[in-house]
Amino acid sequence: MKLDPRTKLVMVFSLSTLAVFVVDTLLLSIVLIISIIVSNFFKEDWGFLNRARKFILLLVGIAFLQSIFSPSGEILFGIKDFTLLTTGGLAKGIRVILRMLVIIISATIMKGSSPREIIQGLIQWKVPYEIAFMVSLAIRFIPILGQEAKDAFTAIQLRGIEIDKLSLTKRFKVYSYMFMPVLSGVIHRAKELSTSLEARAFRAYPERTSYIKLELSKNDLLIMSASIVFTITMLVIYILLR
Amino acid sequence: MSQPIRAKNLSFSYSKDGKKIIDNINLQVNKGEILAVVGLSGSGKTTLCYCLSGIIPHLYNGELSGEVYINDQFIKEMNMPQIATKVGVVFQNPETQIFFPMVENELAFGPENLCIKREQIGKRIEEALSLLDMEDKRYDKTEHLSGGQKQLIALASVLTLKPEILIFDEVMAQIDQKGKQAIKDIIIQLKKEGKTVIMVEHNLDNIEIADRKLVLKNGGLKKFEGSLQ
Amino acid sequence: MKEVCSSNTFIEVNNVTFSYKKSEIILKNITTSFDKGEFAALIGPNGSGKTTFGKLMTGILSANEGSVFVEGKNIEEISLGNIGKKIGYLFQQPARQLFNPTVKEEIGFAHSFMGKSKEIVEQKVNKIIEEFSLQGLEDASPYRISRGERQRVALASIFINEPSFLILDEPTTGLDIVRKEQLSQLLKSLQPQGIGIIVISHDKDFINKNADRVIELYGGEQHEA
Ligand SMILES: Nc1ncnc2c1ncn2[C@@H]1O[C@H](COP(=O)(O)OP(=O)(O)OP(=O)(O)O)[C@@H](O)[C@H]1O
Ligand SMILES: Nc1ncnc2c1ncn2[C@@H]1O[C@H](COP(=O)(O)OP(=O)(O)OP(=O)(O)O)[C@@H](O)[C@H]1O
Ligand SMILES: [Mg+2]
Ligand SMILES: [Mg+2]
Repeated sequence: MKLDPRTKLVMVFSLSTLAVFVVDTLLLSIVLIISIIVSNFFKEDWGFLNRARKFILLLVGIAFLQSIFSPSGEILFGIKDFTLLTTGGLAKGIRVILRMLVIIISATIMKGSSPREIIQGLIQWKVPYEIAFMVSLAIRFIPILGQEAKDAFTAIQLRGIEIDKLSLTKRFKVYSYMFMPVLSGVIHRAKELSTSLEARAFRAYPERTSYIKLELSKNDLLIMSASIVFTITMLVIYILLR
Repeated sequence: MSQPIRAKNLSFSYSKDGKKIIDNINLQVNKGEILAVVGLSGSGKTTLCYCLSGIIPHLYNGELSGEVYINDQFIKEMNMPQIATKVGVVFQNPETQIFFPMVENELAFGPENLCIKREQIGKRIEEALSLLDMEDKRYDKTEHLSGGQKQLIALASVLTLKPEILIFDEVMAQIDQKGKQAIKDIIIQLKKEGKTVIMVEHNLDNIEIADRKLVLKNGGLKKFEGSLQ
Repeated sequence: MKEVCSSNTFIEVNNVTFSYKKSEIILKNITTSFDKGEFAALIGPNGSGKTTFGKLMTGILSANEGSVFVEGKNIEEISLGNIGKKIGYLFQQPARQLFNPTVKEEIGFAHSFMGKSKEIVEQKVNKIIEEFSLQGLEDASPYRISRGERQRVALASIFINEPSFLILDEPTTGLDIVRKEQLSQLLKSLQPQGIGIIVISHDKDFINKNADRVIELYGGEQHEA
């Protein structure tokens, strides 16, 4: 099923709202399971999670450690008077992980929509087109610069520089070269980008038409309302339980 | 005969005391004319294209003097998007002109800015892709295109704008034999429709279709008689 | 292993198959080899996989099946830096391989980075700047020069390292007939020194004039002319 990017935005927003507000391990687990089911339903490839694995692990690890060492509840593990691990801390740590997983996994729902479709969703929600385009292009800039840094790294090595045989200081120098095209190139690239935008008549008129047109189907409306109802229900349950 | 593009006493250098890349050029291009510009690498052909399409002075700084007119309108008094509705430029470097993730988005962008109706945009996209034999790439990711394919998409995304004046800066460089012929056919067709084309080329075989050939050297334009130096 | 090295083969491509992630097969079962001192041209329509093939032989991409050997050694086992010492590779889009603030530093990069003395680097750089007629652009930024000038800066920064093999992806882009002729002369002068050359190009004249051997790619397969 192909859903409107706006529907997906609502879903992501609903799930991450829950992740932020709910402080209950069981409810959070339910939300996580739902996120996984929904994301799987869209057959999102989680490949990029794999690529960002180290970073995510680091983030989750830090959060987990910070939380479990904040004392509350019964002592699970300690040396003499010095408390190391408490039930409260452990629960907190687990919640942090759950929360982050919900946010990361729910965000993958958006991956199936192209940036152009998301722009269109925003425009049809009455966001001015200039702003929608600019935001989206700014976001697109990040992978472009990443690619450029990667190319520079390849090019540096192909000049006969064997990275693994270098001293640490020299290695740092290589990295600084890698970011050279990124840093000095950024202004240049931004200029080239605005040149090609304007040379193709961007902002020639206050209005513009759009080739892709998004229409909310019955399914979209259904899912959107279901998401909102679900979110409100969960929040109510959570407040009543407290 | 009308002259959609005119330059009068045009001079330009990139910095204040820098070398004059363009030195007092006078040029008139007729409606329906194919003008070829050749010259040594670094002689200023791209710079001239920038001046004739308003990119200089609107987007690049430098020391500009003299005047350029598009349909008798002074280019300095028009803004860049306004100029772009009349003049379409295909730049020498295709990488920097493509910014959407999918080919179709890229081709739709121009006509969307001109407020063309959806159905019309669809037709223009189909037409441009079929002229260049790229229909099967319509839904492909732009970043996965080969060098030549990128060049063709950059060209197609200017064709969908349907401007009166087209400037092609070395667009055939990375294109295969078949593609080169397709581009030449397109240029001839554009001429028949009364459009004005300026083409910059290094490969002299490609300019056989031109009505007039000029060489840019030492900042000036002269009739091309076989020698670049 | 020694026998292989002393033979005349520089790059050996053995039954290589390649596809990008999720793409169709770009190259199927390619087997060929390139000799020292040989001038080979790789041609074929747009999108036929020439750039992909070049990157496989430089180790930027690795084959799904089959292997590439450089001087008898599997390319998978050689670091990119080590390949760079032997093979000079020109990107189709030279802007991608330039990363220094000035033309002069760009060309002298490898030498000064590896600690050669200033005078020697300067001498070498000046010589090559002349060979590629880049005089006057020494202090310009590689981003703010013409397309053909950038092409020559990229070429110069490869040639200064005196590689024993060259893979050049569309080297004539942006070059006028005079500079093209200079490049031909330069490449021709390298051949007798045993330097092998692969040129990927759509420039028919340039290939007809220079290449000893033409390989055409289409439909993922190689066709020797
Ligand atoms: N942004 C810039 N800033 C300063 N100088 C520049 C800039 N762009 C180009 N130049 C210089 O201006 C001169 C003309 O460049 P231009 O790009 O117009 O040449 P060209 O004729 O198009 O060359 P090619 O055939 O190589 O593309 C060159 O000497 C170049 O170094
Ligand atoms: N990163 C990628 N992911 C998926 N497909 C790709 C990728 N890069 C290239 N391709 C596809 O692989 C095919 C071969 O590309 P390649 O760049 O090798 O062609 P080429 O022969 O060099 O063409 P050209 O003459 O236009 O430079 C093309 O169809 C291209 O669309
Ligand atoms: Mg140029
Ligand atoms: Mg290529």
